[in-house]
Amino acid sequence: MYSKTSLKAALLGAALVPFASMASAEKISIAIGHQSMCTDTYTAGIVVKELGLLEKHLPTDGKYAEADYDVSWADYSSGGPITNQMMANKLNFGVMGDYPLIVNGAKFQETDSLRTLYVAGTGYNLKGSGNAIVVPVDSDIYSIDQLKGKAVSTPVGSAAWGMLLKAMQDNEIPTGDYVLKNQSPAVGAANIAAGKIDAHSDFCPWSEIMEFRGTGRKIYDGSETGVPYLHGVVVRQDFAEEYPEVVEAFIKAVYEAGEWIREDPMRAVSMMEGWTGVEKEVLYLYFSQGGHLTLDPTIKQEWVDALTFNHGVLVKEKAIPPLDFEAWITEDYVKAAYADLGVDYAAEKASMVDPAEANKGLPMEIWHSRDGVSTYPDMPAFLTAVAQMQGTGAKLNATYVYDIETGLKLFGKTAFWVKSGGDYATFLRKGEAEAYAAANGGELVTFDAAIADFITEG
Amino acid sequence: MRVLATIGHTIRRDWRRMLGQGVLFALLFQLFMMIALIVRFQQLPNYVTTYDWFGNVAWIIRSTPSWSDMWPIIAEEWLIEIGHMNYDYGNGISVWSLNVIPSRLVVLSVLGAMIALCLSLLRRDSCSTRTATTLRATTGLGAVLVAMTNATMSWVVCCATPSWVVGLAMLGLGVSTSLALETMGPLLTGLGFGLLTALIVLLAWRATPPTTSMKGTPRHA
Repeated sequence: MYSKTSLKAALLGAALVPFASMASAEKISIAIGHQSMCTDTYTAGIVVKELGLLEKHLPTDGKYAEADYDVSWADYSSGGPITNQMMANKLNFGVMGDYPLIVNGAKFQETDSLRTLYVAGTGYNLKGSGNAIVVPVDSDIYSIDQLKGKAVSTPVGSAAWGMLLKAMQDNEIPTGDYVLKNQSPAVGAANIAAGKIDAHSDFCPWSEIMEFRGTGRKIYDGSETGVPYLHGVVVRQDFAEEYPEVVEAFIKAVYEAGEWIREDPMRAVSMMEGWTGVEKEVLYLYFSQGGHLTLDPTIKQEWVDALTFNHGVLVKEKAIPPLDFEAWITEDYVKAAYADLGVDYAAEKASMVDPAEANKGLPMEIWHSRDGVSTYPDMPAFLTAVAQMQGTGAKLNATYVYDIETGLKLFGKTAFWVKSGGDYATFLRKGEAEAYAAANGGELVTFDAAIADFITEG
Repeated sequence: MRVLATIGHTIRRDWRRMLGQGVLFALLFQLFMMIALIVRFQQLPNYVTTYDWFGNVAWIIRSTPSWSDMWPIIAEEWLIEIGHMNYDYGNGISVWSLNVIPSRLVVLSVLGAMIALCLSLLRRDSCSTRTATTLRATTGLGAVLVAMTNATMSWVVCCATPSWVVGLAMLGLGVSTSLALETMGPLLTGLGFGLLTALIVLLAWRATPPTTSMKGTPRHA
């Protein structure tokens, strides 16, 4: 009897062993809020999600040996709802732009028991490109001064709104001299296409979408404000303290996403178009060499300064709560992630890309629909190639040139062209193109006219 | 005390009607907001999302250490989202939406019940037509203040701080004016409820029969 009972107990025990190990496995839910319609968040959002980079870097040893990960992604059209979902603990990580990031930190610090940490960047533009003011393509407005007495729309509370306020202040246009309207990116873009609004200020990549579709024209680029435009990653502090290695894994995934894009920008933007619906030619303007966005997860002092400045704007305009930047921003996780990857954090933190300097001498590019992107070291070679390709009836997806003043990458078709003698120069704004033409004895010509100069008979 | 007794008596007598009218008011207000959105944007809604409100609230309670933090977060939990998605760009962007938020439904139901109480007390009031009009207008003002600050319409544009003024901005109020009013939300709500409470007390006082004064000592008690 005793032996029978012992045997039963032994068998039952043996049968329960697998269940016992399952019971000890901890389920770790990782929920990330990202924005597939905001290019600067892609390296911590859609790219990491679609390539499974977070799963690749998640820890599997030590206290995580039995961990059962449940990774989920939620796509939002703006940063505000991400913050709300993080407060309800339905999201652990949030990826957003500078202004919503600040609101995130301030709203959490307003509570008694909840906090977020700003743990890494995704990318930046040193001078503020990414935000821009656009007018309908046929508008007779060419500079911000001409917006006096006009109606300008913007998504209030966004980085583009902050840029618009500063741009108007810098140009001594008081708020009473223009009518500010609150419009979503999609509605603003639709209104620009229909000519229903005089101007619209928006964040990346909306201005370039309008330019690419031929509905809008930039009259002011965010780089003119001189305030860096950056995006970053926030994480709930309770999650980060419980699973610091998971936060490090996330940052490693962000870093790898950047490397993947740099490795082959054309492949990257083609895949991103499929994931986000944003045209690859527009994304190329951001993610290619010389593009608007510098992919960099490090946290630089300049970013802290820019965020502090932006917080001041939000306090003045929207009375948001105070934000203790010292407590909110931490480099601990990003440094640990870099150390694990064997990458020199200090060196990357110290490097700063200024398009005006970095893009000097970069080749012009043509995106042939069949053959892909080809590069040209000078204007004659570029224009000759465009003329030849057009002569064969080839479809060109896009052409890319650089603004002489700012170094910004532009679509060839939207740039202002100046021909002086046999030289050609391209500009973002008409005013600077005219000044250059006057100084160099040149004249403004259209892109088509410039191409026509290189069409050879026969 | 007699005024409170009058209020208590009216509530005990009419509580079913007040409750029904309160809930009806909250539901009709949702309908009103939806019609306002459709008229403002000239678009019909093209998506509906429902949320596990009970599950979400349970999760918030489990994961928020401080009770004082818990309530404001729960108050913002959505039950239903009905809106219009624009698919012209990317994978679609929700241009506008009506958010049915249970905490706001409770506030609006209380508001509706208070209006019903006011009207019930007004019916018992034998004041002049002019006074009755003033009292009704005061009820309306209180109701507008509370209802306005409990509007739950959202718009993708206000991405930094979604708030009740989004509703005002969407309905055409200038951005600067809307932003200036933002911090006044709780004050306006309090003012609206304060106005209604004061009106209820006034109406109850008018409806309470005056105390008969008894002078001297009864000789043959």
